[in-house]
Amino acid sequence: MPGATLSRWTMSYFAAACLFLVIGQGIMVAGYGYPFADVDAPETLALVHVLAIGWLGLLMVGALLQFVPVLVAAPLRGGRLALPVLLLLVSGLLLLVGGFGTMADLGELSPAMLPLGALLLVTGFGLAAAMLAATLVAARPLPLPARFVGLGLLALVATVLIGAVFALVLSGTVASDFATTLLIHGVPSHAALGLGGWLTLTAVGVSYRLLPMFMLAPEEARGTSRLVWWAGSAALALVVGRITWLVLDDSAAQGPLAFAALLAGIATLLYCADVIRLFRERRRKAVELNIRASYAAFVALFLSVVLFIVPGARAAAGEGGAALVYLFVFGWLTGLGLAQLYKIVPFLTWLECYGSVLGRVAVPRVQDLVRERRSSLWFCLYYGAVAAATGALFAESALWFRAALLLQLIATVGLIAELVRARMLSSVAEPLRFPIGAPRPHLFLPIARQQE
Amino acid sequence: MTEATNETVCGAIRDALRMIIDPELGRNIVDLGLIYDVSVDDGGIAHVTMTTTTRGCPASEYLKEAVRNCVWYVPGVEYAEVRLTYEPAWTPEMMAN
Repeated sequence: MPGATLSRWTMSYFAAACLFLVIGQGIMVAGYGYPFADVDAPETLALVHVLAIGWLGLLMVGALLQFVPVLVAAPLRGGRLALPVLLLLVSGLLLLVGGFGTMADLGELSPAMLPLGALLLVTGFGLAAAMLAATLVAARPLPLPARFVGLGLLALVATVLIGAVFALVLSGTVASDFATTLLIHGVPSHAALGLGGWLTLTAVGVSYRLLPMFMLAPEEARGTSRLVWWAGSAALALVVGRITWLVLDDSAAQGPLAFAALLAGIATLLYCADVIRLFRERRRKAVELNIRASYAAFVALFLSVVLFIVPGARAAAGEGGAALVYLFVFGWLTGLGLAQLYKIVPFLTWLECYGSVLGRVAVPRVQDLVRERRSSLWFCLYYGAVAAATGALFAESALWFRAALLLQLIATVGLIAELVRARMLSSVAEPLRFPIGAPRPHLFLPIARQQE
Repeated sequence: MTEATNETVCGAIRDALRMIIDPELGRNIVDLGLIYDVSVDDGGIAHVTMTTTTRGCPASEYLKEAVRNCVWYVPGVEYAEVRLTYEPAWTPEMMAN
């Protein structure tokens, strides 16, 4: 068959990612990390990596294992590595967090945890990038969405390698001047490559394919979409170039980063214009909840990037523009992630359960696996809490921030519960729920081997 | 089989295929315009040419298999051959109103 089959371990990636999202938000509600500690405090570093690797990283890798074959209409290469990669990433993250715990003097932890965790993460993300890149390379020439993913994978590799150098320096394993300079000056580039390069460019690419699919909008690549790719590529090249510059001259200026931010702003404006056009040109007039929730994430993307470029707004956003980074991570990346999970989980569950009996018995629609009215309340609470938490960071009110976070955590747990209900087919009317011959899906373990 | 009989079987096949829905859109694949061609030769061998809304969709193989199973049970069909194509690519304009 030309194209994609079901990815066996994607649901396990999603389950682990959701767990880390709950843990990360729970840690913040408990008062750990920024703004209760400095931006560069070990507690903050641990929290940031739980969210960036545990939640967003696992979510994105799991989604790409399923959707890169869809983007290029070709089978995934090296699919057997999916489980080892998941184990490497989870164990690497736990060691990394333990290593940050060592830095914060939290109990008797081995100093080797930080470099060992970095090694496992480099191996895990390296294998994931290799699987996905091999799939893309074999399917050239690539459609535009897949080219975004290719760019995102390059940014992933750069992010992980820089992070590994940081881990070696912080643990005292390496003490070279270059590595120390990179640690002192390279943290903004590391964050920009991870959040802007890897996670955002990849999400943008996948959305250029999924939005037309779900809304029945025209799929052909527009000039503005190509400009988004070129602006993203140029911004990525500037950030990587600055890191190279740091190796040669440790007084490297901030100019390239500022210009990269400007390019990111232009790319964001063009991308937002594209998603508005897709919405207007859709043939499917009924707009499902996953689409409505995705557009709320686009608003967060627009606001966070545009305000980040305005010097006054960034200065008011706290240390390192923390309030805007928060809006970017939870409004844009997490909001979009939850919105797409709300579609992908029922869709994959439907295929798993009803795909093999289609044509023989009556089956429900994918939409019958969810209850939108209740879920829309969770999404409203989620985005409202993100807005309130962002406002509290601007106002430097730790108390209000924590209160908003608690609501955000409640909404997240509510949405995850809806995903669990979809997996258990709880919303499907009884005559259609378990037709004869239909396999019952496991909560997060893989589907049967013959469907791989 | 006479030409008239073949036409009758083709019609029966199209009717039978209406029980198969596209899981995402929730409409049957005939009204969605996903069935490009149906023919039956004198030996009762049915040929169905179909597509899916998206190239590379994970549901493609399930839909193709569902069509094969469904056509096989239509009276007058001895064997069913299903071909998946993306030439031309499906567009929303192909849906029946």
